[in-house]
Amino acid sequence: MPYYRSLLLSFLLLALALLTGLLLDTPIGSSLPSLFGHAHDPLTRQLLLELRLPRVLSAAASGALLACAGAAAQYQFRNALAEPGLIGVSGGAALAAALALEAGLGGGLVAMTAFVGGLVALWLTWRLAGPRSPSSQLILAGVAINALTGSLLTLLIATLPDDSLRTVTFWLMGSFASVNWRQASALLIALPPVWVLLWRHWRYLNLLQLGDAATFHAGYPLARGRLQVVALAALATSLVVANCGMIGFVGLMAPHLARLITGADARRVLLLAPLLGALLAVIADTISRLAIAPAELPVGVITSLAGAPFFLWLMRRALMGSDNARA
Amino acid sequence: MLVLEHASLRDRIEDVSLQLRPGEVLALIGPNGAGKSSLLSLLSGLTMPDRGQALLGDTPLRHLSAGHLARHRAVLEQRTEVATGFTVREVIAMGSYLHGHANTTALAVALARVEGLLERRLSTLSGGETQRVLLARALAQLLGSTESERYLLLDEPTAALDIGMADGLMLQIGRIAKQHRIGVLAVVHDLNLGLRHADRVALLDRGHLVACGPTAEVMQRSRLEEVYGVRLAELIHDEHEDLRAFVPLPPHES
Repeated sequence: MPYYRSLLLSFLLLALALLTGLLLDTPIGSSLPSLFGHAHDPLTRQLLLELRLPRVLSAAASGALLACAGAAAQYQFRNALAEPGLIGVSGGAALAAALALEAGLGGGLVAMTAFVGGLVALWLTWRLAGPRSPSSQLILAGVAINALTGSLLTLLIATLPDDSLRTVTFWLMGSFASVNWRQASALLIALPPVWVLLWRHWRYLNLLQLGDAATFHAGYPLARGRLQVVALAALATSLVVANCGMIGFVGLMAPHLARLITGADARRVLLLAPLLGALLAVIADTISRLAIAPAELPVGVITSLAGAPFFLWLMRRALMGSDNARA
Repeated sequence: MLVLEHASLRDRIEDVSLQLRPGEVLALIGPNGAGKSSLLSLLSGLTMPDRGQALLGDTPLRHLSAGHLARHRAVLEQRTEVATGFTVREVIAMGSYLHGHANTTALAVALARVEGLLERRLSTLSGGETQRVLLARALAQLLGSTESERYLLLDEPTAALDIGMADGLMLQIGRIAKQHRIGVLAVVHDLNLGLRHADRVALLDRGHLVACGPTAEVMQRSRLEEVYGVRLAELIHDEHEDLRAFVPLPPHES
């Protein structure tokens, strides 16, 4: 599919998914007018504006941020299986965020603590695996770090008397159900700069696929590029985790779908992947809201249900060495 | 000029002084482990000497940014990652990222003779094709630069090539060097390629520069025998006396 058409199509699909997510399971007849202020039904209006709208917008922004982080990790580590959840960033961010909440810190500080936690966990994973390790080793190190942060998180929440920390499920499987406008706007405001700043590194990230030395020889200093890309990926992930918990596999799937559609060029993938990530997250959130209504599923259940087989498929391709053939 | 002045690097390079001039082809030869790749890496500015200096003109390489260096020299690495999923066209275009325009890639594509490969994926190419594509990328980087002094550092450019391809590539590299006044340093394992295509030869042995000078002077049988530890026969073509080749002989019976 031509690149610009795929961008446009993703954008249209995203708009459609947002509208569907917003309006599904509401008295649709009264919804549209109520949005524009001619409401006769204040309850529906309140449902839409105070609950549904921040929710779908957070889902979209989170999906896009996770896709940014996933794409950044995949290019930076030259590893098709890298994903914020799999390489420990999400786990570290979640643990740090929970600790910050327990210490009674406010919204901005929680996100910042999560950022530091994510960076530390990523650094640990990277060191454990060794800088020039094959795919599998980075993932194995990520498994270890995830097990550690996951159990510490569970321990932390289990030993707390009150339920102020939300629940283990919230952190481990993620949810957009309880986001408010403050959280939604934090995500929406952070997305454009993260997206643009990361996209500006497309040349560096492309060259990196030829190797570290080749990148330097072509005129791009390694340390600066790596620092900025890794920091942006950790920032994107920790913002999502601090506000919506750990939502797995979106950061894995979106960049890969983008590569399948437009090829490996980071200039295109870094634009398309966040759109696809937003689309995936909004769809997953809508399903998680409606699948067992009136109860809710954590959104991570849906993304993992779709993502785990996808991961296995990727791993199989990588193991069989046919990774090169198509994507 | 790209210069090493009494450069040393840990236990790999020992007090080496060397100059690479615009327009010449300098072959860097020596046994395995002699430090050829380390020396190339010093000249490229990727690693810094522990003692001595690496210079571009009068400026130490350590004072030049990666971008500045890249406008003066390009490198064909011995090993690169496979760049899964990238097309040849995309890989060659990476050479012109620094310059912000793509019109130099056409010349690079023609010089490296990769016109027919542009839409293929890099990972589906043979070793020889990959080598030519990476050469085209390096050329695109140099030819796009408006600097007057430009250097091309090649780490075993012919490693994956058959005898005909290797000779053709070196011939082409020699032409490019003369036409575009690019100084070329090529690490070669095949002595006869050096003999045939280099203006000058630098012979490295266990980190020391044994000899450096015009090809015929440096590549003398006795010296090569000593450095490589093999007996060599020197063959001279009946009609072209300047066409020489070295062939290893079986060791003496003892």
